[in-house]
Amino acid sequence: MRAPNISPSAKLPRLAALLVAVAGLGLAGCDDHAADPKMQIGANPVLPALQQYLMPPMRVAKVIGWGADEHPAVPQGLQVKPLASGFVHPRSLYVLPNGDVLVVESNGPKAPISRPKDIVTGWVQWFAGAKAKDENRITLIRDTKGDGVPELRTVFLDHLNSPFGVALVGHDLYVANTDAIVRYPYEDGQTSITAPGTKLTDLPGGPIDHHWTKTLLASPDGSKLYVGVGSNSNITENGIGAEYERAAIWEVDRASGAHRIFASGVRNPTGLQWEPETGKLWAIANERDEIGPDLVPDYLTSVKDGGFYGWPYSYYGQHLDPRVEPQRPDLVATALIPDYALSSHVAPLGLAMYTGTGLPANYRSGAFVSEHGSWNRTPLNGYKVVFVPFSNGRPSGPAQDVVTGFLDADNHAHGRPVGLAVDRNGGLLIADDVGNTVWRVSSARPGSVSSAR
Amino acid sequence: MQQHATIMDATFSAADLESAAKPRGRPLHKMLVAFSAAYFTGALVTDLVYWQMPAVLWERFSIWLISAGLVLSGLAAVAYVIDLVTGREIDRPAVPRAVGYALAVLLSLINAFVHSRDGYTAVVPTGLALSALVVVVLLLTARVGTALANRSRV
Repeated sequence: MRAPNISPSAKLPRLAALLVAVAGLGLAGCDDHAADPKMQIGANPVLPALQQYLMPPMRVAKVIGWGADEHPAVPQGLQVKPLASGFVHPRSLYVLPNGDVLVVESNGPKAPISRPKDIVTGWVQWFAGAKAKDENRITLIRDTKGDGVPELRTVFLDHLNSPFGVALVGHDLYVANTDAIVRYPYEDGQTSITAPGTKLTDLPGGPIDHHWTKTLLASPDGSKLYVGVGSNSNITENGIGAEYERAAIWEVDRASGAHRIFASGVRNPTGLQWEPETGKLWAIANERDEIGPDLVPDYLTSVKDGGFYGWPYSYYGQHLDPRVEPQRPDLVATALIPDYALSSHVAPLGLAMYTGTGLPANYRSGAFVSEHGSWNRTPLNGYKVVFVPFSNGRPSGPAQDVVTGFLDADNHAHGRPVGLAVDRNGGLLIADDVGNTVWRVSSARPGSVSSAR
Repeated sequence: MQQHATIMDATFSAADLESAAKPRGRPLHKMLVAFSAAYFTGALVTDLVYWQMPAVLWERFSIWLISAGLVLSGLAAVAYVIDLVTGREIDRPAVPRAVGYALAVLLSLINAFVHSRDGYTAVVPTGLALSALVVVVLLLTARVGTALANRSRV
């Protein structure tokens, strides 16, 4: 096309070679070999070398929902049925003393766009079904007969602000909105609260509010509330100033509303429970992203008073994260290793220590953990509810798959499990925030067909 | 102008001769190229500041500057095609300039991905190095383009 009268045309092949090399670099960024998640379950997860991407892998399951006759799968001896459906992004569950089930329908505040990347992330979340309306309400489901067919469904509390955690102490019902804990008066059997709430304390909320869910757990004596407050970023990309009192488990005095940091360095503590045998506080946490398909494993851990669990400076003890500057070697030296890895990017969002008797004997001591599922790993990981057996107050074996089938063979998502709760009859309840259903897992009675509809 | 027309006659292929014979106005793409180059250079400055003082504000300046530069370079490519089609003036020699600029844009695209990482390593060291490399490529391109143009004039 061009007349070749340029003398330094020898430059061109060199440039072309450089272009090819650069293009190759881009492709190398997509090369990704995820290991077997089983290698990262338990007390000693295998941690590969950290890698940084040119283009972080994004792999989300397309949401197809549940067909009329479809439901998750459970092993022999269990059955699963929908308790109720037609919710709007049900995120967490709470069972009141009379057996009423509270379904928190919530989807977080709108994320601000501070970088071009946030626009892309928005598209990915939309694809993954995470862009449902934030309903900001709690729905009550009443199933007095305990047969899994509710007789009553009412709007229990409305006009909340991205609620997640709920805790009842006596006649005080606490709701953890994303920016505050609010107390409401509750009478036994009440099906709807219209009384205005009273703010107990502010919680770290907007304007960024990256990890918005605030999980809530009352102490056994009711004097304290424990709150899981997630970080305001993946790895401090919004500045360390945005992380003030975040990535922490708060202890809030119920009488005064005063708080202290009970434990810190926990990137996103999404579930808190008391271990029934030892009375210790346990948490599930979502660890950091974008340093590899097998980093960093999410975990289940006992929470030590005053403990520091690494985020953002390090993970699993003293494994440094180079993305944080300035570093804090003084803190890293004190970083605790979590008790039990759940494998990478499974996104644990629900925790239930099982104390009931409704399920078969092999589930009577341990923790159910719901794994919402990965969005940045190939193959996908999570998208199920697992059971971690405990003995003497400690995990005592590998996690077992209990509720699966949220993903189909083509990696399409029927649903994604989030909040867990154990109902009055010992059934395990699962909030499914893209299937918009609450599932109930119970023992398959002799004679009945397993997972019959 | 007279001399310029002569050079064009010598360098244009036959297909282009018709339009080249009568250049119609200033090229549209030049300003867009200059703007994108300025944005890419700005990103080097904000990267250097972030390197010295890692506050996220500077990192965000960098990624928006690089992104804006990329958007403008896309527009510049469109404008370049319009210039060719409508027969506007195009600085000679066109190919080394275009290749140099394309390389700078490609490196900036990679740089945009690096700058989209979370935290310090979005800039130090790879992002900063790429920002500097882009500026070097842009400077070399401008210099080589000018040198070749002068040489042709002799």
